[in-house]
Amino acid sequence: MVNEVAKGGDSLSSSSKANKLMTLKEAVSSYVKDGSSITFGGFIGRDCLAAVHEIIRQGVKDLLVIDDSKTDVIDMLVGAGCVRRWEGAYAGYGSIGLANNVRRAVERGIPFSVEMEDWSNAAVSMRFLAGGLNLPFMATRSMLGSDMIKYNSRIKVIDDPYSGTPVALVPAARPDVAIIHAQKADPMGNAQIWGFTGNDENKARAAKHTIITCEEIITTEQVRSQGNLTLIPFYCVDAVVQVPYACFPQSCYGYYAYDVLFCGDYHEMSKTREGFLSWLDRFVYGCKDHAEYCRQVGWKRLESMTRLERQFNRI
Amino acid sequence: MHGSGEYVKGKNYTASELMAITTCKEFKDWEVAFVGIGIPLVAGILAKRLHAPNLIIVYESGSIGPEKLRVDFNVGDSSAADGALCLTSEWHVFGDLQCGYYDIGVLGGAQIDRYGNLNTTAIFGEGDYHRPKVRLPGSGGGNDIGSSVGRVVIMMRLEKHRFVEKVDFITTPGFLDGSPGARKRVGLLGGGPAAVVTSKGVFRFRPETGEMYLHTIYPGVDVEEIRQSVGWDLIVSEDLKVVADPFDTELSALRSADPANLILGGAESRKHLSGYDQFVDLTLKHAVK
Repeated sequence: MVNEVAKGGDSLSSSSKANKLMTLKEAVSSYVKDGSSITFGGFIGRDCLAAVHEIIRQGVKDLLVIDDSKTDVIDMLVGAGCVRRWEGAYAGYGSIGLANNVRRAVERGIPFSVEMEDWSNAAVSMRFLAGGLNLPFMATRSMLGSDMIKYNSRIKVIDDPYSGTPVALVPAARPDVAIIHAQKADPMGNAQIWGFTGNDENKARAAKHTIITCEEIITTEQVRSQGNLTLIPFYCVDAVVQVPYACFPQSCYGYYAYDVLFCGDYHEMSKTREGFLSWLDRFVYGCKDHAEYCRQVGWKRLESMTRLERQFNRI
Repeated sequence: MHGSGEYVKGKNYTASELMAITTCKEFKDWEVAFVGIGIPLVAGILAKRLHAPNLIIVYESGSIGPEKLRVDFNVGDSSAADGALCLTSEWHVFGDLQCGYYDIGVLGGAQIDRYGNLNTTAIFGEGDYHRPKVRLPGSGGGNDIGSSVGRVVIMMRLEKHRFVEKVDFITTPGFLDGSPGARKRVGLLGGGPAAVVTSKGVFRFRPETGEMYLHTIYPGVDVEEIRQSVGWDLIVSEDLKVVADPFDTELSALRSADPANLILGGAESRKHLSGYDQFVDLTLKHAVK
């Protein structure tokens, strides 16, 4: 089998390999194209909303989103008409409610119909593990006996050739792009992530191109002093972008808490198509970049999320 | 007012509060619990504050055993990592679940049938899977928990459109068609549903048939009322028990676990908050040190 994994700026010159810093606009336009398959890091926390907004601003269409559990990421992309297909486990708002834009798209084709392919979180995790190991598939004991198997023909239930008991096989996920928010990264692309890490290490390895956004840029010497914190090594990474508060209103462990009230307000607004569109006008189309989004949200509010995180999280 | 909706008639608690307190009694000290966000999590936190201080809560985002100072608002809220024994990756936690390390899981659902099969994917209505009446979030980790955890506790409001003869979509298998060994035959490792805690009473399952039966009712609830809310011919325990009213200590522990009433109260109570300052004040005041 041909090794298809080679990436991480293979075609870059030596100086570009040492310094992958760019703007979010450049990173998204370089790697996220109409029809791309894409995944996002984080787990309803450390989700890179700034990149989602930029994708919407650039008017990218027909995305295939492969992911485990998402709230704002998938709801906004679907509502903005960027998504053709979802292969995932969870698109909702937890105790806040259902994903209004996803509902409108699936139930009524507004603004476009979205194909849904259902998996469980463990199944998606195994798909990215297979992708990250450059294996064609992985096995799981989830989904057996469920209707996910009935409606999703890519889940193959076989008898384990060694013991004879049933297992479900799931195909490797190898998206075109992964966008992962880290607490810190160096210009080479070594990404340091702490707190819970979702499937980020495997998403970065499985994707053909990986964009790292981060709260802080550090030096490679600083990376070397705490190599255990590096979840994603530079050779998986094509672009590094510093974007403080990139996850707002989601949380970033150690930096800012989840703004449940902001998220609740969005959820209220998005109950109608008109409400969602006016939200987009204000917070996405009305802001030329993430810094303007931060101003629109209000620095005081962002700082209060940092204060809340420091008050409650013992790091 | 705490919880959603009105107080139960003549009582000082709401149905959702009684559900949370009843669920919390399903956890045992030193168990490892895979708990979803929302009321199940509040029940887990409550258990830790009452009879099960060493209960270990696990989150699918990759957090094992956090000792949090405040309630989480979603499964990836950074408080979900607060004071954790181990912070790791999602696939490791699901691997540990599949290895059998986790004793109990708590799930919710939109539809359930008599064998405890759960639907969290779609309500078809006149449509189908591809164009349903209501598209729900999907499995998330629910299927994984229901497949492999030691035993499952389900929390659902008792309403006729939820307790149905046949679910539109089996997201998380219970006892499937109820035939002996049905779970094992398809390859499932976990023990399946142990209890369904509802807004009117608690159901458990007959081991030989996998069928749900009414085990306990809440004070002031009539069995006939429950029969009317279930879409099949319900079996009622010959030894039907009535659950006691919660103690004031239980109610106050519950209310301090969710001081701004954001989980139990939902969207309505967000409107009553004047803003973050009030939220922070309330949460700090009730935080466990």
